[in-house]
Amino acid sequence: MSTPEPDGRAMFKILKAIANDGVGARLGSLTLPKRHPIDTPNFVGLTARGAIPHLTPDNIGKKSELGGVYIALEDFMETTRKKTTPPLLEIKSETIDPLHSFTATPSHMFTVLGARRHPAINSPLGNAQDSISIFTSTGFQKLTNEAYRKYVAKIRPDIAIPLADMTYSQATNPVDSKRRTNINSSKRQLRMVERTEDWLAEFFEAAEDGSEQDTPAVFAPVLPLSYPTQWEYFNQLDQDFVTRLSGLAVYGVDVLPDLSNHGPLIDLPRLSLDYTATPQEILRQISLGADLFTVSFLNSISDAGIALSFTFPPPSDLAPGIRPLGINMWSPEHEVAVKPLVEGCKCYACTKHHRAFLHHLLNAKEMLGWTLLQVHNYQVISDFFAGIRASLNAEPSTFEEDYDDFMRVYDSELPTGTGTRPRARGYNFKSQGGDAKINNPGWEKYGTDSDPALAGEMAGLAVTGAAAEGKETPLVPEVDAAELDKQGFAEISK
Amino acid sequence: MASTIASASSAALTFDLVARCSTTRARASLLTLPHGPVPLPIFMPVATQASLKGLTPEQLEETGCRLCLNNTYHLGLKPGQEILAAVGGAHKLQGWNHNLLTDSGGFQMVSLLTLANITEEGVKFLSPHDGKPMLLTPEHSISLQNTIGSDIMMQLDDVLVTTSPDHKRMREAMERSVRWLDRCIAAHKNPDTQNLFCIIQGGLDTEMRKECCREMVARDTPGIAIGGLSGGEAKADFCRVVRTCTELLPELKPRYVMGIGYPEDLVVSVALGADMFDCVWPTRTARFGSAITKHGVIKIKSYEYANDFGPIEEGCGCACCKKGEGGLGITRAFVHHNVGKETVAAHLLTIHNVWYQLNLMREARDAIIADEYPAFIRRFFANIYSDKVDYPKWAVDALREVGVDLLSDTNI
Repeated sequence: MSTPEPDGRAMFKILKAIANDGVGARLGSLTLPKRHPIDTPNFVGLTARGAIPHLTPDNIGKKSELGGVYIALEDFMETTRKKTTPPLLEIKSETIDPLHSFTATPSHMFTVLGARRHPAINSPLGNAQDSISIFTSTGFQKLTNEAYRKYVAKIRPDIAIPLADMTYSQATNPVDSKRRTNINSSKRQLRMVERTEDWLAEFFEAAEDGSEQDTPAVFAPVLPLSYPTQWEYFNQLDQDFVTRLSGLAVYGVDVLPDLSNHGPLIDLPRLSLDYTATPQEILRQISLGADLFTVSFLNSISDAGIALSFTFPPPSDLAPGIRPLGINMWSPEHEVAVKPLVEGCKCYACTKHHRAFLHHLLNAKEMLGWTLLQVHNYQVISDFFAGIRASLNAEPSTFEEDYDDFMRVYDSELPTGTGTRPRARGYNFKSQGGDAKINNPGWEKYGTDSDPALAGEMAGLAVTGAAAEGKETPLVPEVDAAELDKQGFAEISK
Repeated sequence: MASTIASASSAALTFDLVARCSTTRARASLLTLPHGPVPLPIFMPVATQASLKGLTPEQLEETGCRLCLNNTYHLGLKPGQEILAAVGGAHKLQGWNHNLLTDSGGFQMVSLLTLANITEEGVKFLSPHDGKPMLLTPEHSISLQNTIGSDIMMQLDDVLVTTSPDHKRMREAMERSVRWLDRCIAAHKNPDTQNLFCIIQGGLDTEMRKECCREMVARDTPGIAIGGLSGGEAKADFCRVVRTCTELLPELKPRYVMGIGYPEDLVVSVALGADMFDCVWPTRTARFGSAITKHGVIKIKSYEYANDFGPIEEGCGCACCKKGEGGLGITRAFVHHNVGKETVAAHLLTIHNVWYQLNLMREARDAIIADEYPAFIRRFFANIYSDKVDYPKWAVDALREVGVDLLSDTNI
C-alpha cells in the first residue's frame, strides 16, 4: 500500500457542495494516512501543552468522537538553564510519529501543528523579518522560519501549518480574547502578506532538498485581511504551490467567497483558525465554506462550569422564548437534580452521572467536574457538527432553514458561569498591570493565630499549593452555624 | 485454588479467611460487603469529596479498586445531609457501584477547627463563619453516615495524637471512645445494610491498647480499626501498637489500620496481621508530581525526567504504563511537561499511584496464599534499597518480631 501524496485533492473529497461556484457550505471527507477518515464539516480538539484540558488520553479515545487535535509548537518550546533543548525534539520514536508519541495522542486521531496556540497571546515584541514571537511558559521567545521547518520535519505532525505573520488580540480576559483584532494599518497589512508569502516559499524550498518520507500535509495560512490586500498571495498559492498544498489554514474566513477567483484552491479543505465565540459563528463560517474548526470557546466554557445544551437543527417544539446555549451547572437549582445534564445526550457524563453530582463537584472544586463537563461539551459539539452534516446531506439541503431556525431559537451569547474557574491564570496567560482577579482567593486567614493550611497539613490533608486551582480539598465550612445545624452536620450547642 | 479456611458472617458482611502465612502474621482473606467482594489485604484510596481527584469512577474501577473512602466531614459540609438524602446516598451521588467506607468526621474536626474541644457529649467547635459554638455528637456522625449509606462506617472516637504526653487524658479518650461506640451502635439505623467498625484507641501505651481491645471486641462489631496512629509517632512505636492489637483481635474479623499508606508501612503492617489501609498520600503526591514505583518514589517534576521517554514505571500494568492493547503510552517526559500546568498530569499520576498501591496488596495477597510472604518482603525491600545497610531499622526490627530477618542471607 503506498502512502498517498500530500495533495489536498487526494486527501479531501468534496461529497456535496451547496453553491455551484465551489464556495459556500459543503460536505466532505478528509482522509489522512494512518488515521481514521473524518467527515466534514467537523472540528478538532484544541490542546494545551499537548493535552486536551482535563481529559486523559483514555477519556479522549473512549469518551469522545474526536478525529484530530490542534497542537501548538510554542507549548513545547520553553527552555531553562537546565533544559536548553525542548524535550519534544529529543524524542526518538521509531514506530510512532514523535508528536503523537510525546503527547500520547490516540493513534486513530490526526495531529495539526501550528506554531502558536489558538487563540494566541499577543507578543509585545512583535514578529521579525525571519521569525515570529512565541509565548512559552518561561516567557516570549523567537521562532525562526528555518527552525520551525526543521521541527516540523522532526516531529512529524499529520498536518503542518507554516508560519503566518499574525498580530493577536491584546485582551487577556477569557471572553475578549476570543474576539479578533482588526489590523487597520495598511503598512502592517502589506508586511503581513509579504512575510507570510516569503516564509511559505522558504518552507517549501527547504523541504525540497531533503527527500523526506512521510512529509506532513501542508495547510497554507490565509490571513485575516481583505481580498485586495492578499490576492497576489492567493495567486502565488494557486500557481506555484497548489500541488504541494493539502489545505488552507484560514485565520479570517471573510475572504473565503473570493476563492472563487482561484479555481485550483477551491477543492482544498479549509481549516478555520478564525475566532469562534459562539455556535452561530461556526454556522456563519460553514456557510462561507469552512470545513474544519478549532472551537475556541469549548475548553473555556467547560472551565466556566457550563454544560452546552444546543442542538442542530434546534428542537422543533415551539416553546416560546429564546433558548440558552448552555446550562450554568453552578446554579443551586441542580442540587438534587438526579437527571442528565441534557436529556437524551449519549455522553458518559449524561448516561452515568447526573446534574446533582456535577453541581457538587463544581461546588467542592473537584477536578472531576471539569472532566465530565469536557466529555459532555465535546459530545455536544460532535453532535452539532453531525447535525450540520445531516442537514447539508438532505435532498434538498435544509441547511439554510436550519441555520435560520438556530439563529431565531437560541441566545446569541454563551452563558457565563457564576463560580470560580480553573486555569484562569498560570503558564497559559499573560497578565497585565491592573488586571482584576478572576477568582476570589480560596484561603483567608481565619482568626488571629490559626492557619487552616497549616492545620490541614498537620491533619495529613493536602492544602498547600494549588488550592485556588481546584486541585485541593477545601476544609473549612463555608456556611454558618444555623445552616450546619439544619443540615444535621452538628448542632448549635446550648 | 485457595479454599476458605474459616468464615464468619454478620448482618452485612462475610469474612472468609483464605490463607495464613506460616512465618509472619500475614493473612489473606475475602471480605464480602453489600456492594461486592473485596480481597484482603487491601489499600483503599481516598475520594474525599465523593471523587477521586479527577478520575472518573470508571477509571477508578479500572485500577481494580472495589472499596474506596469518602470523608464524612466533607460530605456533611458539601453537599450536606439533606441533599445526600434527596439524591439517595453517596453511591448514587458519585455513580460508584462498589463499596464505600466513611470515617466519622471527628478527625478532621479536631485537627482543623479552632477551639475544638471534646466533652462527654461530643466534639465542641466554633462555627468558622459566625463563631457560634457547635456540637458534633456520635449520633450526628452515625446519622450522617447512615444517610451517606457507606458499606463500612466508623464510630466517632475521641482522637488524640498518640505522641501526647498526657497519660490521664489518653486514658479518658480511650474510655470515652468505648462509651461513644455504645452510643454509635444505639444510633445506627441500618445494621443490616451497613457495617459499623469500632476503633481501638490508647495511644502508644501497650497496656491501654490491650484494655481497649478487650472492651471493643466485647461489643462484637463486624470489623475493627486500629486508630490514632500515623500522627507522627516513631515507626517502631507504630509497629509495636499494631502488633499488640492484632494479637488480641479475633481472627475472623477484618482489621483496618487507619491513615497508613507508604508502601513500606503496608508491607510491614500486613506481616503484623493487618488487612486494610487508607491514606491520601499516594493521590496527593501524584498531584505534586511524584510517582510511586517498586524502586521508590520518583519526582517526575524534577528536570531530569524532562527527556525521559520511558513509561512512568517499566513493567507496570496501570493504564498509563502498560504496553500494547489499551495502553496509553504515557512517558515520564509528557507527565513532566504538564506537572503543575495541566490537570491531566495529575490525573495520570493518580491513576498510576493508585494502581501501584492496589497492585502491591494484590501481589502481597498472592504471596500469602502461596505461603511465600517472607520472600515477597525481601524482594520488596531489595527493590527499594540496593544495600541492606540502608534498610530502615524500624522495619527490620518489626519484621524480626514476626520471624523474618531481612538482614540475614540464609532464610528465604
